[in-house]
This record gives sequence, structure tokens and C-alpha cells, in this order.
Amino acid sequence: MPKVTFITSDGEKTTIENAIGTLMEVATEHEIEGIDAICGGVCSCATCHVRVADEWKEKVGPQNETEKDILDMEDGADDNSRLSCQIELTDEMDGLVVEVVEL
Amino acid sequence: MRWTDLSLKSWNSKDFQLTMDNTSCPYHDPFKKARQENGVMETEVAGEKIALILGYKDVRSAAREYATFSSDAPFRVPIPSEEDARSVRQLPIETNPPEHKEYRAIVEPFFRRPMQKDYIAKIESLVDDLVENAIQQDSIKVITEFALPLQSRALTHLLNVPEKEADTWVSWGVHVFREGNSNDSQKGQALEDYIHQQLDMAKQNPGEDFFSALTRAEYQGRPLTRDEMLGFANLTFAGGRDTVIHSISSTIAYLSEHPEALAALRENPKLVITATEELMRYISPITHIGRVCPVKTDVNGVQVEADSRVALSWASANFDETVFESPEELRLDRKPNPHMAFGNGTHNCLGAIHARLIIRSLLKKLSELQSITLLSAQRSIEKEVDYERELGYKNLTVTLNR
Repeated sequence: MPKVTFITSDGEKTTIENAIGTLMEVATEHEIEGIDAICGGVCSCATCHVRVADEWKEKVGPQNETEKDILDMEDGADDNSRLSCQIELTDEMDGLVVEVVEL
Repeated sequence: MRWTDLSLKSWNSKDFQLTMDNTSCPYHDPFKKARQENGVMETEVAGEKIALILGYKDVRSAAREYATFSSDAPFRVPIPSEEDARSVRQLPIETNPPEHKEYRAIVEPFFRRPMQKDYIAKIESLVDDLVENAIQQDSIKVITEFALPLQSRALTHLLNVPEKEADTWVSWGVHVFREGNSNDSQKGQALEDYIHQQLDMAKQNPGEDFFSALTRAEYQGRPLTRDEMLGFANLTFAGGRDTVIHSISSTIAYLSEHPEALAALRENPKLVITATEELMRYISPITHIGRVCPVKTDVNGVQVEADSRVALSWASANFDETVFESPEELRLDRKPNPHMAFGNGTHNCLGAIHARLIIRSLLKKLSELQSITLLSAQRSIEKEVDYERELGYKNLTVTLNR
């Protein structure tokens, strides 16, 4: 199971070992600042926005269609943006680092 | 977004078929034809010409284009407008960025409290008490004996005031501005009198409650004016009232007709999350919200005159078949579900976290039941010149069976 690191807007790093589920679920379970995920992960609220570093984009994969529609209109979204509820963690993502985008 | 009072003057209620998930019911998606044709419905609400924006992407986009579709319009964000129902601009909803951001930040900490574990426990306990009490009764009138007390008592936690304060709020009825023989200004004045009283008390004896927070708050480096305080509190009471009550009653009605849904929730507690979102999409407790066009604006070929209004139709967008597969089917496990039941963009509903918690807690508790027997039901119908839409219940009586 992968290890993932969240960097919050104040620069604080939190690393979670043996992460399982979606990246959003891991973040909320560990109360990562800035990941509210108020819709619980159905891709409705856009309050679990993260930015994936270039080197991880291929392994994490692109925005899906619904997610793209949501992020297209979100302030602060760019090509590295993902909604963490849409990232199902796999062993390939071991070492993943994401920046939490401030709400 | 606010959860506006939906008991419009033109509403009627009558008996309708109860099922919420059959496609033959013409009231689920009254906007379908117009949405598919050009995405706009030109209509009239309370004598005012309004263009309803219906397509999902158009609504999302319009919610962000505040220069074109402005919220800087006192009394004119709700539909119909509320000049007769209150004396102040509601805050933060009736402002545009950048003012909106600072206004919203003043109250946001209160509305984020429902994410805290102890707050969640309090609401779950409240729901538990109310359901256990209801189980003991032969039958319950859901609106007056369950949904209204639940909404009001839950609000005391949001505002951090004693739960007994809910007794006063319950006495106001389902709607804070309109009901029975009272006219808008009478009910509206009663609410404003109450808020003034609470603010006076908070000023004299400040605590950690919402009213005290307003008396301490600053905007652009100065204390809030009394009208601004009133505007915040007014929205707080009006916004999450009938919307929450409709959501509670519709959820109970749905579960009464779908025992298999109760069983599914019982077997898979995680379903509570997606079920809540899907119920909210399906119920869409606020049909639409208004925006003012400062200049003459073309909306998909419809000319909206300067200072006239459009409406962002959340209810239509949430049934847009280009986004939601089989939108008239209520699927408890729908995911993704990018609905806009709580609005969208910078004005998204301040009370959304609290409202979701109420419905999640309710589903969790009700899933312990064997069944809910529906004894009688009378739906509320939002009846306008060009459409009718089912929304909540006027009366709903059920028995909860453990």
C-alpha cells in the first residue's frame, strides 16, 4: 500500500503510510487542512482539490470527464489539478506528493 | 446560495401520486422540454418576467459570471423577490465579489462547525432522540412533529444557542415569511423583532453564540451596522428552514415507499453518503435563485432587459440528461453525482455542511427500522404560470416500525 504526502497551503507536510482508498478518504481520515470533502466524494463540491506534481501526473492519471467539467470553472485550477475524491490509490502511487489547494 | 423561503403566494397543494421515482409523473422535471429546446424558459413569477436558465453547464457558468448575472441586488436574489418580507439586504448572499468574500468570511466559521466530531455527535444524538420518540407513537405527522422540530433544534447547535430556543422557532411554522393568514410584512417583522431582541441581549451579555459573534464582527475595519447584523441573521433563519424541512419529509416519504432502500442502507452503511447526495439532487430543495442583469443581456437567444432578472435553475440542472444518466431514477449509489442542490460557485450554500449532516444522520438512524408505513401524504406543488413542480409535502403521516 502506498505512502502519500500532502503539502498544505501553509507549507506543512503530512505523510501517511499504508494509504488505502481514495486520496480524499485518506486526507479526511487524517484531517488534512484544506480537504473538506463536504459531499463525501461524489464529485459535487470541489472541496478536495489538490495539485499533482508533474512527475506524478502519468501515474495518477488525467481528470475524468465529470471532474474536468467541475475543475474548468474552479478558481485556482490548472493542468495539475485533480479532485482527490477521484484518485483511487494504487501501489504504483507509492511516494505520491500532492499540494492541497486552498479553498 | 441561500435556501430561500419557497412557500410562494401562488403555491397550491393537492393530492398527487406519491412515488418519487417513476417517469410518468409530470412534476419531477417540468423544465425538460425547454431545457432540451434552447435551455431557457421565459416565464413570469409573481407578475415579474424572468428567464430561467436551465442547462447544467449554463447554470454553472452563470453562477460565476457575477458581472453579467449580479447578486448585488437587495431583496431580489430570492424568487419571488422579498421587498415586502424584510427591511434589509440579506448577507452575504445579496452581494457580489469582492465584498461578498469578506462578508462571508465573517460567518463562515460558524457554518464550518458541523465538520467537527462533537458537533456531528450532537446532531446524531438529536436525530436519535426524535426518531426514538417517533417510534413510540402510533403515527407521526412528519412536518409538524418531526421535520420542523428537527430543523429548529439542529439550528440551535449551528448558532450555538440553548436548544430550548427552538421552541420559539417552531412556533413560527414551516416558513418564516409566509404562512396561513399572516402576510409577508407581519411575519417578516416578527422575525426582525426577534433578531433585534437577540442582538440587544448579545450586546449586553456577549457569549459564544452567533448573535454575539455578529456584534463583535468587523467589516472593512469597522463594526457591522445593525442592518448588516440583521441581514446575516435574517438569511440564517430564512435560508435553511423550508428547504431542510422539505428534504427531511421527502427523505422519509421515499424510504416509506422503498423498504429495499432501508435494507440497502442497513447492509451497507457507507451508502449513507452517496444516498444523501442523490436525495438532495432529486429533491433539489430550492428550485432556483435569482440574478439581476445590470445591462440588456442575451441568454441563449432570450433578451433580458437591463435591471431584469434571470434565475439559475438548480432543479433543472440537476435533471440534465447530458450530465446525469437516467436523471429521473433515484440511485442511492450514484457516483459521480456533480449535482448543484446546494447551489454552485462563490455563493454555494453556507448551510450545506449542516444540512448534509442532518440528512446523513437521519438516513443512518432510519436504516435501523424494519419499515416506514405511509399513512397519508399531500404533496406541496410549486405552481407557476408555465410550470408546476413537486417539492416536499404539505402533510405526511407515517408510522415508524422497528
